[in-house]
Amino acid sequence: MDPEVLEAVKKALISRLGETKVLWKKPDIVLYRKDTYRIRFDEDYKYLPDLVVLPETTAEVQEIVKVAAEHRIPLIPKGGGSSRTGMLVPIHGGILVDTIKMNRVIEVSVPNLYVTVQPGVTLKELEEHLSEHNLALNQEQGSLRMATVGGSISTSGFSRKHQKYGTIADRVMSLEVVLADGRILRTGQKVLYTSTGYRLHQLFVGAEGTLGIITEATLRVEPLPEARDAIVAFYKGFWEANEAAQRTMASGVTFTGGEAYEGHDMSSYGAPPGLKGLFYVGFEGIKGEVEAEVEFVRKIVADTGGVLATHENASKFMGMYSEQWCGARTRTKSEDVLTTYVPMERMVEFYDILWNKIGKKYDISPLPGEKYGLDVGRYRIVAGRFFLPKGEGAWEKYQSALREIAELATSMGGSVSSCHGVGIQHKESIKLEYSKVALETMRAIKRALDPDNIMNPGKKIDI
Amino acid sequence: MTDQEFAEMFETAESCVYCRCGCCKDGCPMYAEILEESISPKGRNELIRAISKGIVEPDERALRIAFSCLLCRRDEFSCSAQLKNADVTESFRRYLLERGLPMLPEHDLLAKNLANYGNPWGESKSARKRWAKDFLSKRFVNGKTETLFYVGCTFSLDRTLQESPRALASLMQKAKEDFGLLLDDELCCGSTAKRIGAAALFEKVQKLNSEKIRATGAKRIVTACSGCFKTLKQDYGGLLNGIEILHSTEYIALMIEQGRLKLDELPKKVTYHDPCHLGRHAGVYDAPRRILSSVSRLKLIEMRNSREKSGCCGGGAGVKTAYPSISQKVAVRRIVEAEKTGAEMLVTTCPFCMQTLKSAAQESGSKIEVIELSVLIDRISHPKGGRK
Repeated sequence: MDPEVLEAVKKALISRLGETKVLWKKPDIVLYRKDTYRIRFDEDYKYLPDLVVLPETTAEVQEIVKVAAEHRIPLIPKGGGSSRTGMLVPIHGGILVDTIKMNRVIEVSVPNLYVTVQPGVTLKELEEHLSEHNLALNQEQGSLRMATVGGSISTSGFSRKHQKYGTIADRVMSLEVVLADGRILRTGQKVLYTSTGYRLHQLFVGAEGTLGIITEATLRVEPLPEARDAIVAFYKGFWEANEAAQRTMASGVTFTGGEAYEGHDMSSYGAPPGLKGLFYVGFEGIKGEVEAEVEFVRKIVADTGGVLATHENASKFMGMYSEQWCGARTRTKSEDVLTTYVPMERMVEFYDILWNKIGKKYDISPLPGEKYGLDVGRYRIVAGRFFLPKGEGAWEKYQSALREIAELATSMGGSVSSCHGVGIQHKESIKLEYSKVALETMRAIKRALDPDNIMNPGKKIDI
Repeated sequence: MTDQEFAEMFETAESCVYCRCGCCKDGCPMYAEILEESISPKGRNELIRAISKGIVEPDERALRIAFSCLLCRRDEFSCSAQLKNADVTESFRRYLLERGLPMLPEHDLLAKNLANYGNPWGESKSARKRWAKDFLSKRFVNGKTETLFYVGCTFSLDRTLQESPRALASLMQKAKEDFGLLLDDELCCGSTAKRIGAAALFEKVQKLNSEKIRATGAKRIVTACSGCFKTLKQDYGGLLNGIEILHSTEYIALMIEQGRLKLDELPKKVTYHDPCHLGRHAGVYDAPRRILSSVSRLKLIEMRNSREKSGCCGGGAGVKTAYPSISQKVAVRRIVEAEKTGAEMLVTTCPFCMQTLKSAAQESGSKIEVIELSVLIDRISHPKGGRK
């Protein structure tokens, strides 16, 4: 940014927000340069925001947007910062709007089962707050300890309990959004079901901050369940565990969510020697209902040759969910993850091409225990985690691999990214997933809401 | 800082930066109050890497960020990789000071006091025995007395806390322990110097103190201060090898379990706050709970965050001195959590936790009684065979 403009913008923001809510010193802003995206290896410090602001109210967000709009400066809205696809990288500089101080719970309505919050409250904090009212949002994503409501909505985040409670997209009832011209958009009343109006709130689910800044969200909540239980079963490998998963999904039995995968070392969960496949299912509801559901899935496990884990080991496994989310990154210092959607009947073919053709061609190999993974339930993410290529041309190989994985998933009728969004990582690849008309419609929406392209420019879709 | 120490610091920072998950922010008491990325273990690791690579020049802001940490280790129990962020932050402080940045003025005073008076609080040598008017006869006899009650600077010099060393000495008497005190001859353990990055001063203090203690011929050290306990036990690099070092909670639990102390009943609901230096740093979680569980009719109610996940009181690592208002907010947060248990008493066992939590309870108008464990047990105990 031009130094004179930067100084004027800084001065304007300080006068409107106060000095403590505006950061500009390098030891502060260097920390806001990216999310968990693997930026080009030699460009780690290339993109820095010019300023970081920490608003606490909708009115302050409006002031920030007005200043940015006046100078046509990019705005990058931030939640917990756990995005994996680069949606927080300030590739054009600008003002990074950290919503983390907008963390108030505004209203809990027990009779109408909703909660209204500012966007910066984390999913964990919100669950703790709701539990005091015997309510739950039931959004368990791997990043739940730092992911914010605003960030989760903007990324269309996943939940381990998706089968019973849906993901955040299914929970959103109404939003307040500051648009690119500073106006406040309220998407509708705090109702879950209406047949009036366009469903504007859904427009901002997964929008990655490209259409406006979410400043308030009303979300559907549920009563805390009377009973909870879980089944963990071990199998020879992933495909045997997958058989149990497919039968469970086809049966119509109610469960919160589940997973089938092939682990590296399952002995810490009590797996008999040689069994690497794991299938787990969670249950919540009234006591008799949960007992019946558990019994039903136990039978599926028995019929598919699974070995049930003890209750203690099942609990231990359920407790390591968030560790599973990020632990490998620190240990390996060289990994990325795919969260594609692939039709179930093409899964064998998908994994075969992924690891035996694309993997070999571009030097990507699965992390131990991360070769196969399926989220069991209505949102069926086909996942895998892989080591990045090394040596000369590593970045190019990595990008080519991502491109071919996207081509593979979309050619099968699937999606490039079920739950990590697009950011800059998949920006080119989503052109494979949507028709020309669909993309043009998306661009038209973006232009209508953000004609100067100041809302997180260069992310999700090029206009 | 040696090349190896620098390499260890950089390697941890590098590992963290590669992941960037931010799990550490969950439970980090300083981040919870300030909510800026720099004030989190992840943020500091980023800064360590950026400075080490020459991307960011170390300046006063970097120094402030380095010292905005309680070294409480709460984050390490949120981090999947269990990165040693507290150790790294201590190293980062030393690194910045060795690169020529000045010590924070608030900490400079602590260091000067320690160098000139032998304690961080600027009190005279003789003030160290003020608390012990009734125990002057218990001066340690070198080569004869077995147990050294090491009181520490804060318990012995803060007049609002002196009930604690008196209670522990009283308990030792009731248990007929052969113990002794160094009184005005006692030296600082050096914990404060180490936490604020004054490496040379710490080296000097630990040498003097370990020599002093070794010269007594004591077989065991008992201390009620969690900071002294952690420092003597973990930071002296073997200088006190061969001498058993016990925290007062471990010692009192033994006295009760050996039948050397009898306890009256206490029909109260209490909750327990784990001091960071005692719990997460030294792994002593059970001893205080064993003591409380042995009191008839006392109901121990755990806070939502306890043991490894206990919140910090806000008083550690120079934060209370440099950032008193933030320290107070951290402590008030803990008081609110304690109140949610419905307990009448908040029991803890560290002079810094006592200072911050008592002050926060007053500040927030809380009715919960903040009490040090030795004091509580002294009130309800009597010697074996003594009158109930």
